[in-house]
Amino acid sequence: MPAELRYLLRLAGLLASGVVLWGGTVSWGGTGALAVDASHEQAFRQAVRPFLTQYCLGCHNDKQRKGELSLERYQDSSMALKERVLWEKVLENVQDGIMPPDDKPQPKTEEVASLRAWIEAHLSLPDANGHRNPGRVTIRRLNRTEYNNTIRDLFGINFRPADDFPSDDVGYGFDNIGDVLSLSPLLLEKYLAAAESVAAKGLAKDLEEDGPQTSTFDGRKLKSTLKGSGRSVVSLNSTGEAYVEFDFPKDGEYRVRIKAFGEQAGDEPARMTLRIGKNDEKTFDVTAEGDKPGTYETTVEAKEGERRVAAAFINDFYDPKNKDENRRDRNLIIMSLTIQGPLDRDGQVDVGKQRRILLAEPGKGGPQEAARKIFSLLARRAYRRPVTMAEVNRLVGFVDLALKQGESFEKGVELAVQAMLLSPHFLFRVELDGARSGSSSIEAIDDHQLACRLSYFLWSSMPDDELYRHASEGTLRKGSMLEQQARRMLADAKSQALVENFAGQWLQLRNLQLATPDRRLFRSFGGDLRTAMQRETEMFFAYIKNEDRSVLDFIDSDYTFLNERLAQHYGIKNVKGDEFRIVPLVDYQRGGILTQASVLTITSNPTRTSPVKRGKWILEQILGTPPPPPPPNAGELGEDEQAVLSGSLRQRMEQHRANATCASCHSRMDPLGFGLENYDATGAWRTSDGKFPIDASGELPDGNSFKGPAELKKVLLGKKDQFARAFTEKMLTYALGRGIEYYDRHAVDEIAAALDKDEYKFSRLIVEIVASEPFQYRRGRDINPGGKP
Amino acid sequence: MSRFPISRRTVLKGIGTTLALPLLECMAPSQVTAAGKQQYPNRMAFLYVPNGKNMADWTPKQEGTDFELPLILEPLAKVQKDLCILTGLTADKARPNGDGGGDHARANAAFLTGCQPRKTDGADINVGQSVDQAAAERIGHLTRFPSLELGIDRGNTSGNCDSGYSCAYQSSISWRGPHTPTGKEVNPRLVFERLFGDASAGQSGDARARRDMYRRSILDFVQEDAAQLRSRVGATDRRKVDEYLTSVREIELRLSGKQWEPISPPTGMTKPDGVPKDYADHIRLMCDLMVLAFQGDLTRICTFAIANDGSNRSYPFIGVSEGHHELSHHGGNKDKQSKIAKINRFHVTQFAYLLEKLKSIPEGNGTLLDHAMIAYGSGISDGDRHNHDDLPIVLAGGGCGTVKPGRHIRYRIGTPLNNLWLSMLDRMGASVDRLGDSTASLKGLDEDV
Repeated sequence: MPAELRYLLRLAGLLASGVVLWGGTVSWGGTGALAVDASHEQAFRQAVRPFLTQYCLGCHNDKQRKGELSLERYQDSSMALKERVLWEKVLENVQDGIMPPDDKPQPKTEEVASLRAWIEAHLSLPDANGHRNPGRVTIRRLNRTEYNNTIRDLFGINFRPADDFPSDDVGYGFDNIGDVLSLSPLLLEKYLAAAESVAAKGLAKDLEEDGPQTSTFDGRKLKSTLKGSGRSVVSLNSTGEAYVEFDFPKDGEYRVRIKAFGEQAGDEPARMTLRIGKNDEKTFDVTAEGDKPGTYETTVEAKEGERRVAAAFINDFYDPKNKDENRRDRNLIIMSLTIQGPLDRDGQVDVGKQRRILLAEPGKGGPQEAARKIFSLLARRAYRRPVTMAEVNRLVGFVDLALKQGESFEKGVELAVQAMLLSPHFLFRVELDGARSGSSSIEAIDDHQLACRLSYFLWSSMPDDELYRHASEGTLRKGSMLEQQARRMLADAKSQALVENFAGQWLQLRNLQLATPDRRLFRSFGGDLRTAMQRETEMFFAYIKNEDRSVLDFIDSDYTFLNERLAQHYGIKNVKGDEFRIVPLVDYQRGGILTQASVLTITSNPTRTSPVKRGKWILEQILGTPPPPPPPNAGELGEDEQAVLSGSLRQRMEQHRANATCASCHSRMDPLGFGLENYDATGAWRTSDGKFPIDASGELPDGNSFKGPAELKKVLLGKKDQFARAFTEKMLTYALGRGIEYYDRHAVDEIAAALDKDEYKFSRLIVEIVASEPFQYRRGRDINPGGKP
Repeated sequence: MSRFPISRRTVLKGIGTTLALPLLECMAPSQVTAAGKQQYPNRMAFLYVPNGKNMADWTPKQEGTDFELPLILEPLAKVQKDLCILTGLTADKARPNGDGGGDHARANAAFLTGCQPRKTDGADINVGQSVDQAAAERIGHLTRFPSLELGIDRGNTSGNCDSGYSCAYQSSISWRGPHTPTGKEVNPRLVFERLFGDASAGQSGDARARRDMYRRSILDFVQEDAAQLRSRVGATDRRKVDEYLTSVREIELRLSGKQWEPISPPTGMTKPDGVPKDYADHIRLMCDLMVLAFQGDLTRICTFAIANDGSNRSYPFIGVSEGHHELSHHGGNKDKQSKIAKINRFHVTQFAYLLEKLKSIPEGNGTLLDHAMIAYGSGISDGDRHNHDDLPIVLAGGGCGTVKPGRHIRYRIGTPLNNLWLSMLDRMGASVDRLGDSTASLKGLDEDV
């Protein structure tokens, strides 16, 4: 249902129940000021102001400023409109029944509804052109992950220079927020060093043809068991081997590629066996002949250490009487042997498409012409947009500089690559305003910018050739192309970036590395269990993404991913070995992320569970309603010896909640956390905590109650709309690289509604975000309606 | 090849024993004055520890020169005569002042800035320049590195930080300007490479000069790019481009200023492998690198965050399995307080290691510690009350004769911590009129009040 329609229905519903209704509109003009319609004002006076007076101003007045909030000055609607964020909070508190406090007079349901209708109406109104404020994303510096991935995709080298950069700061829960990503001289120093080493490595790779993990041995480097080695090829004229003693850097999978051809004779082709040490790995029919040598390739498992890698000729044949003198002698000619690896076992990302820098060599046109060819392409890819000839020529200037210094063409190219990698056009994701951009306009970002938003959202990296081509040809927004591209990219292995970066931060999985459960209390906790916990959640998220499952699986699922170690931890039988696999869940103990040991561990203290942290985690990450911070001097649980003896953690927490100032938030947090008390601080199942039996029941302020985690999850599933919105907000924050503001409410509503209509499929969320106004548009530079600067 | 005593748990085990660092084989950073007297430069460092202290075990009972070291400060016995224990200083800007919760983020960001961090999750980060960067701006050009920023914890890499404050506040004590944290190194290997990289590259002077020439032309190139870009973007973006430009200019200035000879690491020292697993080893390795940087006059200004405020690290190796932050909300529980004191004492033990090392290095008639001012402390006093007055602060070292150490000085509660920073800037030859909420230079450091 379109949001407008739902909005109208809601108003109609209110009308039927006798709630005040108005037909006003609000719009904002070029000045950034809000023009408030008279009836909107009237609604404020009739519904909102009386509400405030009756239920809020008793405490939240200028004098008392309880909770450091006064609502006294909001005398009319234009005044109120200036602070939209505040009203969102007011609504949240009133709606959730937190305010007014229980011991104060309570508003009637329809009074709350009027307040809500008024607030929501002005939080999401479009401008005269029908556009809602899409926000304006601050220019984004590549974060560490994005830098690494972009270098990988730009040059086809996988060496992660950004691992040595200082951490990127986090805002709104993510480390890709333009406003928060700063650039200190220390970081610039690192950029300079990285540019130098990337350029050097990139060129070295070009010169050696392949990446650093690849070793190629031609005839000169290969030995032969027969006579006559040391030429550019090894000719095996009779049974024998061309071989090399290769030092495998570690246990793992390696790709071996042999370039060879046969001098054919007899009724079968030359046969070649690849041997590692004494093992025959694979035998190939070498049908290729001298005019067109063949490449024979296979992957092998090899142990660390020096081993002989050999291409053996195994079917020597000699028939001197054959009439055709070219068919008398069967020989095998080995041109080269290449060993690549160790291969990444998860090998998701295929860097295989080798990216060259030296795309042209100085020829007739001289070095400048060659450099121009190189940088016309390279700069366009590095800057992720078309480049001007002037930009290219400036880069070519470095070739001149090097030549003047008496250095090589390659040195000049290297310097230009360094400059390119240090340029703000590479380091920042720049989105320029269109030429006609006025101060009050809202305009679509251009297609290259859109392609970048898409690729950094789904891949944490630059657009690939296909995406770039659609941007260049102007076909990206044609028909359903954008959705097609999003789906294609989601299916690509590079979308694993969503697991590492989005899920790692949304679920706060990255904090698992810092968790320090007390080893005396949790003896089984060790490095391998920690790794297993992380793996479960990552594979779970990846599965939902890859199989396009419902995002409600995050709340509850009848499957998870386990290896023997983790299954043991969970008390699940018949899972053997280190390999992770999907395991159907048969009982109520596990299912969904809330019952995964990773999440349960990071929301615990080192020595005990923390229902508060767990409750807070659910409110923040699942329901999207984080509690406000505790007031200073909030007081703590009594944990002296007597208190500990006198009751369970739960009982002591309940005493804490008897304190009214604590209750308003803890009545939201604690019950959710209690529902997970059956899991200890490392996520293992338990039925008692010391001498106290576990009581995993709880009642939420909205009246929902449950006994145990399974019922808690049912309650949460009952709030699937709320979860869908919360999840959408997180994903949208990550996609945009900015915090979600009140004006995004409409987009969030629409995306969440679409999700509901499409069985909550993961891909639906992605596709709708990509299609949303905040993703495709941006606000003119000087508009600042009521929001922050 | 020489080995710096780094992968050396054996040595580190002997806590309290002074280990003589190999001397840097480079020029002594001294200057001969007109009067023919040798002068050594003054250095300053700031060490931050989180979550306040168990103040009962921190504050000495007596004042003046004759004071006993309480439990937490006991490990400093060997350098007691080199310490000023400063009681009563206050970080007012770490208080809510209307901003509600978030004391840890505030304490961290306000400690060296004396400015109220703007409460934001990211959109408009704003605090103020920190004392070390105020010094770097003024005297940073005198050394190869204007300043050195060290830490142990990376910033938070996910989730939310303290109560509506961006994680930038909680992971940065050093701020170049109101919007830009200076960034810090947590990996000893990278610090080493930064300090001594040039020397290990083994390039000739000519090759280095040519490399620097190329670097300068690259920096020119990107400055032009940025200047053009700057003219085409809106106000918020411009701030980011300006940040970039400022950093480019600083590096360029470094390249075009004095040509520094590469400094070799001392004989008997190799590059650290990375981040030591053991927390104490990690801290000490960072201390070693700081000492080397001071000794070789590679920089005179350093900050070192031993942990970010709000840290919930546990210390099982000293018998404290609970998280530090969790414990700091002790609610008056004696057991928890004594565990906090243990953690506090552990940190002070590492501080003592640093001071003893500085003291073991002779410089002229004195030691490196005599020519340094090492401030140590937290932006929170008691972790349970979250109060920001009566802060636990130590100033160690003689400051080239400008500080009279060996005393416990009590100031009126409410005296701005920034007054101390201001007076340290004076002693570095980097005076400013005001820094954050400072009201005047702190009296009494060189004389009895």
